[in-house]
Amino acid sequence: MATTTYAKKWLTGVRLAVVYVLLLALALFMMGPFLWLLSVSLMPGKNVFANPPAILPTFIDFDNYVKVWQFMSFPKYIYNTVVIAALGVVSNVVLSALTAYPLATFRFKGRNFVFGLLVATMIIPSSTAMIVHYLTIQWLHLTGSFLGVVLPSAVSVFNIFLMRQTFLSVPTDIRDSGKMDGASEYRIWWQLVLPLVKPAIAVISLLEMMAFWNNFLWPIVVLDDPQKYPLAAALTFLNGQFSYNFGWIAAGTMISVLPIIIVFLFTQRYYMEGIAGAIKG
Amino acid sequence: MRRWVRSEAFSAWTFMAPGLALIAVFVFWPIIYGIPLSFTDYSVISETHYVGLDNFVKAFQDHNYLISLWNSLLYVIVVPVIQVLSILMAILVNGNIPGVKIFRTAYYIPVVTSMVAVALIWSWLLSSNGVVNFLLMKIGLIHEQVSWLSTSSTALFVLMFITMWKGLGYYMMLYLAGLQGIPSDLYEAARVDGASRWRSIWSITVPLLRPHILFCTLISLMGAIRVFDEVYILTKGGPGNSTLTSSVYIFQKGLEQFNFGYASALGLIVSVLIGALSVLVFRFNRRGGVHPY
Repeated sequence: MATTTYAKKWLTGVRLAVVYVLLLALALFMMGPFLWLLSVSLMPGKNVFANPPAILPTFIDFDNYVKVWQFMSFPKYIYNTVVIAALGVVSNVVLSALTAYPLATFRFKGRNFVFGLLVATMIIPSSTAMIVHYLTIQWLHLTGSFLGVVLPSAVSVFNIFLMRQTFLSVPTDIRDSGKMDGASEYRIWWQLVLPLVKPAIAVISLLEMMAFWNNFLWPIVVLDDPQKYPLAAALTFLNGQFSYNFGWIAAGTMISVLPIIIVFLFTQRYYMEGIAGAIKG
Repeated sequence: MRRWVRSEAFSAWTFMAPGLALIAVFVFWPIIYGIPLSFTDYSVISETHYVGLDNFVKAFQDHNYLISLWNSLLYVIVVPVIQVLSILMAILVNGNIPGVKIFRTAYYIPVVTSMVAVALIWSWLLSSNGVVNFLLMKIGLIHEQVSWLSTSSTALFVLMFITMWKGLGYYMMLYLAGLQGIPSDLYEAARVDGASRWRSIWSITVPLLRPHILFCTLISLMGAIRVFDEVYILTKGGPGNSTLTSSVYIFQKGLEQFNFGYASALGLIVSVLIGALSVLVFRFNRRGGVHPY
């Protein structure tokens, strides 16, 4: 008997060790490329194609960061990115919360029709949406403006669904009691209901912040002046300009990805819950 | 009139008006307007004419378009690979062992970073004297340097690999949410009955994950057929047209050469194709009802 429990303990120990080895190997596979980029960016003058490759930096020098910061007008690109992302986040939160609220809690003619129409758009994707968006933005005389960058994704059907799902879980008495006190529907929405759906608002903010931060193609299509580009778009520009200066490009890339990674690390709890909540089997 | 203004329906529409207006312009309009547009020769330079089915006839004789369609279909290979690997990853990080949350976060980092950055890193790693070749030669898998992204026979598969690498964490989290909804006594019961670990994965985990598998398969299928970012940044369809996917070709025809009419027709064909494939996936997964929200 004693030997079997001993054997069992030994077996769970081995199993745990195997699990950790797998976890670590996978972590190296997923994080290795970023760590390598970080180490390239910290070693000015070191060739990316050095043989053997440098996974860990042998010395640390921030020269690449200083140089690329001076060369490219980073504050301007960061400003552009922040403005675009802020516009995008605010419009998505406000508009999806407004649109989803009656769909979840009001009773009115046409509710199912509106909802059905929204569902249909998720099944029939448009492969040429960008072309029509371009024509629309041109027609609205918004080419070259941040508003033109944000407007096509200022609200999404996905976010409306996410908000509707959350509003459904808010007890109906809250609206009733608000009405009893004579509050208008807008006031009930703003003062009583919205504070209860903060987690969903956090999720949408995060998802949209990442989407707008990382988007490069549409800004390039809409903005005629590279000075107005957000970071991701500017980065493609940087790569084209001096593809030989690896250290600078590595540093520039690190500068562009670090903010979003940091935001993710601090907010991941909400975020993970949010994307998990997006499908319920 | 006054009664209407004070009705629930009225306030409902005032709530929804701004959002629905934008949805109408930027979601419905592209779907609707794309159809008539594809029967014209609309471009910026010349006058627009109705051209009947000309664009569609031209599309099916357009060698590059057919290749791009084929490449987009070939890209679907990445879908089952991602599903299998991300389910295995989800099982790996499902346990409650110390530090597992750190690993989940680490696997998710590629998802939150921009494709521009990811593409840049991998283009360096995969170049002929890059790290990947160094490692592969070291362990003896290859004997001479391969320039993965500029060889026609490998480029498309390398792009698929990058798509997979960036997406694994995302699907892992979705499957993890599914796994955590499976009651653990099911596994206990299976173990009491003497089922092996693999057996219980196959007989308990996979069937109960069915709604998640359907959802993830559908979104990654649509993503694969419409793959754009990684291709556009890394190869622009080259070398030759070995990595030309339909989205890249449509973008080139539409927003680079301004043949809006022709590009719309090409897009319409792809939309029909995606619709057909989605139906196929639903059929294949018939028993798993989908409740995406």
